[in-house]
Amino acid sequence: MFPALLLVTLPLSAALLMLLWPRFARSLHVTVALLSVPLAGYFLQQILLHGEQQWLLGGWSPLLAIRWQADSLSALLLLLSALLHLLVSGYALAVQARDRLPAAFWPLSSLLLASLQALWLARDLFNWYVCLELLGMVAVALVTLSGDKALKPALNYLLFSLFASLCYLLGVALLYAGYGALDLPLLAGQLEANRLNAMALLLITLGLMLKAACWPLHIWLPAAHAAAPAAVSALLSALVVKGPLFILYLVWTELAPQAFWLPASYLFALAALGALLFGGIAALRTPYGKSLVAYSTVAQLGYATLALAFVLRFNLPEFVAALWLFVLAHALAKAASFLAMGELQQTLGSKQVSALKGASQTMPLAMFAFAVAGGSLIGLPPSGGFLAKWALLLGLWQSQQYFWLLVLAVATLLAAAYVFRVVVLAFDRAEPTAPDFAPQRLPQYLALLPALAVWAMALFSMPLLTLLKQEL
Amino acid sequence: MQAWLLDYLPLLIVLSSLLPGLLIFTLKEQQVALRTFLNLLGVTLKLVLVFLMWQGVKEGESYYYRIAFLPGADLILQADALSLLFVVLSSVLWLATTIYAIGYLEHSPLRSRFFGYFSLCVSATVGLALAGNLVTFLLFYELLTLATFPLVVHRGTPQSLAAGRRYLAYTLSGGLLLMLGVSLLHLLAGSPDFTPGGYLAPLLASGSILLQVAFALLIAGLGVKAALFPLHGWLPQAMVAPAPVSALLHAVAVVKAGAFGIVRVVYDVFGVEVVRALDLAWPLLFLAAFTILFGSWRALAQQDLKKRLAYSTISQVSYITLGVALLGPLAAVGALVHLVHQGVMKITLFFCAGNYAETLGIHKIRELNGVGRQMPMTSLAFTIGALGMIGIPPAAGFISKWYLGLGAAEVAQPWVILVFVLSGLLNACYFLPVVYRIWFGVQYSAWPSPQRLSSRFETHWMLLAPSMFTLGLILLMGLFASTELSPLSWSELIVEREFSFDD
Repeated sequence: MFPALLLVTLPLSAALLMLLWPRFARSLHVTVALLSVPLAGYFLQQILLHGEQQWLLGGWSPLLAIRWQADSLSALLLLLSALLHLLVSGYALAVQARDRLPAAFWPLSSLLLASLQALWLARDLFNWYVCLELLGMVAVALVTLSGDKALKPALNYLLFSLFASLCYLLGVALLYAGYGALDLPLLAGQLEANRLNAMALLLITLGLMLKAACWPLHIWLPAAHAAAPAAVSALLSALVVKGPLFILYLVWTELAPQAFWLPASYLFALAALGALLFGGIAALRTPYGKSLVAYSTVAQLGYATLALAFVLRFNLPEFVAALWLFVLAHALAKAASFLAMGELQQTLGSKQVSALKGASQTMPLAMFAFAVAGGSLIGLPPSGGFLAKWALLLGLWQSQQYFWLLVLAVATLLAAAYVFRVVVLAFDRAEPTAPDFAPQRLPQYLALLPALAVWAMALFSMPLLTLLKQEL
Repeated sequence: MQAWLLDYLPLLIVLSSLLPGLLIFTLKEQQVALRTFLNLLGVTLKLVLVFLMWQGVKEGESYYYRIAFLPGADLILQADALSLLFVVLSSVLWLATTIYAIGYLEHSPLRSRFFGYFSLCVSATVGLALAGNLVTFLLFYELLTLATFPLVVHRGTPQSLAAGRRYLAYTLSGGLLLMLGVSLLHLLAGSPDFTPGGYLAPLLASGSILLQVAFALLIAGLGVKAALFPLHGWLPQAMVAPAPVSALLHAVAVVKAGAFGIVRVVYDVFGVEVVRALDLAWPLLFLAAFTILFGSWRALAQQDLKKRLAYSTISQVSYITLGVALLGPLAAVGALVHLVHQGVMKITLFFCAGNYAETLGIHKIRELNGVGRQMPMTSLAFTIGALGMIGIPPAAGFISKWYLGLGAAEVAQPWVILVFVLSGLLNACYFLPVVYRIWFGVQYSAWPSPQRLSSRFETHWMLLAPSMFTLGLILLMGLFASTELSPLSWSELIVEREFSFDD
């Protein structure tokens, strides 16, 4: 339990210390980011050795105490968050002079890490509420870091986030009124399929779908993710939207009575359909580079939502595997594409997609990172996106969902269209650059790193599936 | 050679072009000598390794390399006689094309990027040839798309970007269909290694519709690259790419990847028996026959030399598909040997078209009048290549068409022979006037943009030598078809060893 506790308390206390001693903010932040990764790795190893672990904080009875629980999935997500946080910290350090990142970035992103890690560990409805609330607030604050122009999208984000938290809290309160418990394992299997519970679950689901930007509740996301500084966008798209998805998965598979599963699966499937099609089309049409990447997040979340819908409908391991493989692959690919796109925009000095003309010559590294990450978003082998799509395809063939196979095909083509919209432009002949044009290399390499990682993912499909405890 | 090294031979053959390619990306534009050295090093290494492998496979050895990939479907690189046919073809023609490209792109910008992707493209082709199961094949099929796209758009002009978009739209859709088909088959039968005679026969009893769907998906996916009608639309437009790219795309890499895949699917995944039992050969046969005639017919109308060659490719590659779909041993020999012969002949023609364009600025067919006196060597190569395409002995094309015709007669499909005759006539109609113009036409205006590329030869030696080399291959393959070294004998060996025909 000790490493798990450290994973949360280290960034939390560091964030507080940073507020006290702003002068040491950066070094504190980097220290924590560096420490978190081996710690999370060690923790994952412990889980693999000793199996699932759980603790009741403070040692009280389950009714009072907060329950933390970690299986290999949680440990994997903890490690992923720590790794991406370290990567983004490195990127922020490399570009801070040029991009003039405000000092508030360091404590805020440490807080972000703390709330995320707590979210992966918690198994308690109210504790999740606290994590979600903190996560939302910190995310909004991070969006505002890019200055006045980000205020409107950030305010929007704040309102949606607050509304979502409220919905979630209402649902949780209804459940508490009925059962007097908030602890997930205590509640599991207790809920009857009555109207009150239906209402409660609907409210919880609504709140979580809003936070996870499931279509059509995604409208706050593109503007907010596009307006934030590149380092922040990467964290938001790669990790923050996955938190509510994680809760959604656990609430539905462990808490909700089976009688509700079918209607819920239709709801999720509908949301997935909209996300895959309209998210893709929007990414294809938007004139701005970072909006393109943000809309791609909306579309890609559709795959995860679709997998969730089928987890509820068919008892196939393929769908559970597909869900988490999509989350992992998307986190890596999206971190890479946001960092690459941010780097391209900052260096070339324009937000427009059209400014990327000839970027394969002027900034080959960043463009390569974007293209490689895009390959995973499309699902080209041997990337992580391919692995996830392969699992989903096998599941869909097995359950004979031919309509959804068609949807998957169309969504894949849309993803190819929006990725190659940028890549083709980059192969255009470049305009001559100014003589003092000297792109920074380090941030570009940092953007390339997760992109290469996601392409290596499929080669480690067996260990990954073992971690997810699924067999294809 | 060490035994442990032999285990890695298939991997080394792929890496021998991949690693130099990756290194080339990092080079600066001015490092011409180093780049050329890396290119030639890769080519030489690959040829040596391929030679070793060829010797081994001839002796009946097998090479096998496995990396863990998807659950139930490892990445497998293996060498059988069929994969070696394609490996040898692509490695030898890569040698010619690399030298040609070095000469062709002298002084043009962005050469590091070009040669980097060029090497990746050959690596993907060789990987595809050595692929030991469908999942591995799919992987390299997609990588080939990604590696060739930058070559198609290399010039960065609006036309080439439009062509690149179209190319991607077609090939990525094709890859998607292939992926759907592969995943369906994986679910039905797993992804075992390619097996002579196929591995799907046990499934016949439990329903045929899904198998038919899988076959249709696979063939549609492969048909895009093999330019089967109506999936051929990308090919004529992709002509805007530089000449060495067109040569490589048409002769070896892309269209052949599709055709090779069809051979694999019919013989090593489904197997002749299953294809017969499911009635799958007919649609493929008709489609291929139609594409042959359609391509030739469209080629007639083209006034641009490269465009005419492009439509000719559409037609000629379908000979391979047709030979496969006939499901007879002789037709199979014809199809396999045509895979090689068409490659060598088409690459010669593209080299020549590139020579005309680079040396004299000739793009249109009517500008070719009297070019035979100005560039006799190139024109000789073009003439032999064209005659071979028509199927006139002693060029190589005659051999393959002869076997295809025999194969059609063997399985009692005389109408197919009629298709061959008709297409041969059309071939003559679109190639002979060009040849006539070259040698007997009267030059009516000055050459569009003549350049003096060499003081001793009619053009730069690096442009001339590859076309002479492939010209020699055409004649040798035609004249010595019955010797043990010829592609014909090798194709017979493949059919004998690996395609299980019961009769």
